Amino acid sequence: MIIELAKLKFSYPEQADSLVLDIPSWSLPIGEHTLIHGSSGSGKSTLLNILNGLLSVNSGHIEVLGQRLNEMTSRQRDNFRANSIGYVFQQFNLIGYLNAIDNVQLANYFSKSSEKSSVTEEIKALLNSLNIPKKDWQQPVHKLSIGQQQRIAIARALINKPALLIADEPTSALDEENSADFMALLMSIVDSSQTTLLFVSHDISLSRYFTRVESLHDINQAGAVNAD
Amino acid sequence: MLIKLALKSLHDRKGSVILSIIAMTVSVFVLLGVEHVRHQTKQNFANTVSGVDLIVGARTSSLNLLLYSVFKIGSPSNNISWQSFKKVAENPQVKWAVPLSLGDSHKGYRVLGTTESYFLHYSYGKKHKLLFQQGQAFNNVFDVVLGYQIAVKLGYQLGDEILLAHGLGRTSFSMHADKPFTVVGILAPTGTPVDHTLHVSLQAIEAIHASGKNTYHASKPDKRSELKTDLPPQLSANYPSDSMPSSKSTLTPKSITAFMLGLNSKMSTFKIQREINNNRQEPLSAILPGVALSELWQIMGVLESTLFLVAILVFISASLGVSAMLLSAIKQRSREMYLLRVIGAPALFLFMLIELEALFITIISCALGVALLIASLFFAQTYLASYFSLQISLNIFSLNSLTLIMAMIAASALVATIPSVVSYLQSKRHYVVK
Ligand SMILES: Nc1ncnc2c1ncn2[C@@H]1O[C@H](COP(=O)(O)OP(=O)(O)OP(=O)(O)O)[C@@H](O)[C@H]1O
Ligand SMILES: [Mg+2]
Repeated sequence: MIIELAKLKFSYPEQADSLVLDIPSWSLPIGEHTLIHGSSGSGKSTLLNILNGLLSVNSGHIEVLGQRLNEMTSRQRDNFRANSIGYVFQQFNLIGYLNAIDNVQLANYFSKSSEKSSVTEEIKALLNSLNIPKKDWQQPVHKLSIGQQQRIAIARALINKPALLIADEPTSALDEENSADFMALLMSIVDSSQTTLLFVSHDISLSRYFTRVESLHDINQAGAVNAD
Repeated sequence: MLIKLALKSLHDRKGSVILSIIAMTVSVFVLLGVEHVRHQTKQNFANTVSGVDLIVGARTSSLNLLLYSVFKIGSPSNNISWQSFKKVAENPQVKWAVPLSLGDSHKGYRVLGTTESYFLHYSYGKKHKLLFQQGQAFNNVFDVVLGYQIAVKLGYQLGDEILLAHGLGRTSFSMHADKPFTVVGILAPTGTPVDHTLHVSLQAIEAIHASGKNTYHASKPDKRSELKTDLPPQLSANYPSDSMPSSKSTLTPKSITAFMLGLNSKMSTFKIQREINNNRQEPLSAILPGVALSELWQIMGVLESTLFLVAILVFISASLGVSAMLLSAIKQRSREMYLLRVIGAPALFLFMLIELEALFITIISCALGVALLIASLFFAQTYLASYFSLQISLNIFSLNSLTLIMAMIAASALVATIPSVVSYLQSKRHYVVK
């Protein structure tokens, strides 16, 4: 299992009495490509931020890649996040004033994993395989199209060869064609690198790309209680 | 990577960053400028005159007398008569007396009418005598001895002929092309107002003034005529015997501006001072240069402290401005901060990032401020020198100013902890920004 959750409870400190997440038990096997879908505001992003260690849960057991997140110091969680988890958002994945290479390199800078000398070559290979034209590598990324930015974001997320790639609605800012291209590229690259993929979206039509599809409403009891 | 990120992010926000840098540069300029000028004036004033026991002029405040006689700032209220000078100079306690006559100019530089003994007795700093870099003292009416800076700035050499004007100011109302003065001596640099003064004989002053009244032609001496005064014996003794005048000249001064005295014994200073102050024929003031200098210094001190305080306040407000700019940028950059956290940046990294941005702004501003200061000193130098006899050196890198720059950098880093801590805390709370 790459993720194991048990009796997880979470609420934001501002609204301490209303639980956003209440997950009795859930797990994700290694190598699986999973889609979790849920409506807007159902707590998808919150769950992902718990899994990457940015948010701490109120109570419960949470294990990612064999590490118990709520027993780690925040410094350890920073390292863990840099080394073991790749992350792609809906938008603003990149630092706009840096170019593609710098953006990817920045992600590598925070990880202790790969030796820095060969990394530029790796970055270039990765950008190539993601169909980013060479002439755009040195441009500040805010000058590039959203589709290109999302593809650079994949490179950024994968540069440290994370065991787990988390994607938070990465296609919702793209049009249909770009979205299909993006999904095809993403799936081929996680297949070839054998990365476990956890993908959340409100768009159930993406189901066809995944080996496993779940609904957050089934996993999360907080929503069910609130709905009553 | 941290440095690269800080620089690129500043570059990305050029507009507000440049404005902050300008504000900061101005404040660095003001602070360093005030510090430099105060350091320089202190040296200037302290070293200007030494070895002179008393300075005597028409009745006025000691400060005023000091300013116009030594610093050649402002102008005297009244002249004093040649008789008064003679009377004091003949006092047996007086070792030497040097008359000073001011009020004329050459291209904005003051002309000092005096006697040759001026070059023997005037001293500055730690009792340094005036030295001739080239040539010698004036022998003839139309001889002029230049201060070092004048020769440098105006490019004059020995043997050059120049015109002196009646009155002060660059553009003179009565220049007379028919009476050029010949440069016979150039003094070595002193770092005092002497460098910016032209020295001629008292007779030359009379000649300039006589020509101003157009009565000069009748009594115009030959251009090579020798100096003639009815100086008291101890003064005349200073003249080389071969240049001692033999014929009576009509160019005897009726009045002078002030004179300097050296006494046989320091013990008699106060007695002589009292005698001069109580002079019945003419109201005179005698001052001790050291006492007047320290009086001047006290007034300047208050002024300087005030200026320095204001400069510090200006700097603090500029630092706060930079921090306010960074703080508001943090709000706009919360997405960027969150992203950095997600890819594994520790909260400390964000703290350092903001600190570094503030530091870069300060360092760039310091460099610009220093450059601006040197440039403006370069342009103001001549003006300050000729109008205020202030010599400000271009070298602003004293231990003081370097400490000040360090202090500024430290202070701005300190003020920048406000936005840095905010970004640190914000990233610690790691809120998903909608
Ligand atoms: N920083 C925060 N502070 C307080 N409440 C928050 C915060 N972020 C989200 N919430 C609340 O938590 C709930 C879940 O939000 P979350 O962002 O996880 O939903 P989501 O499923 O990702 O929605 P979307 O599809 O719109 O991205 C919402 O009710 C939201 O208002
Ligand atoms: Mg979301």
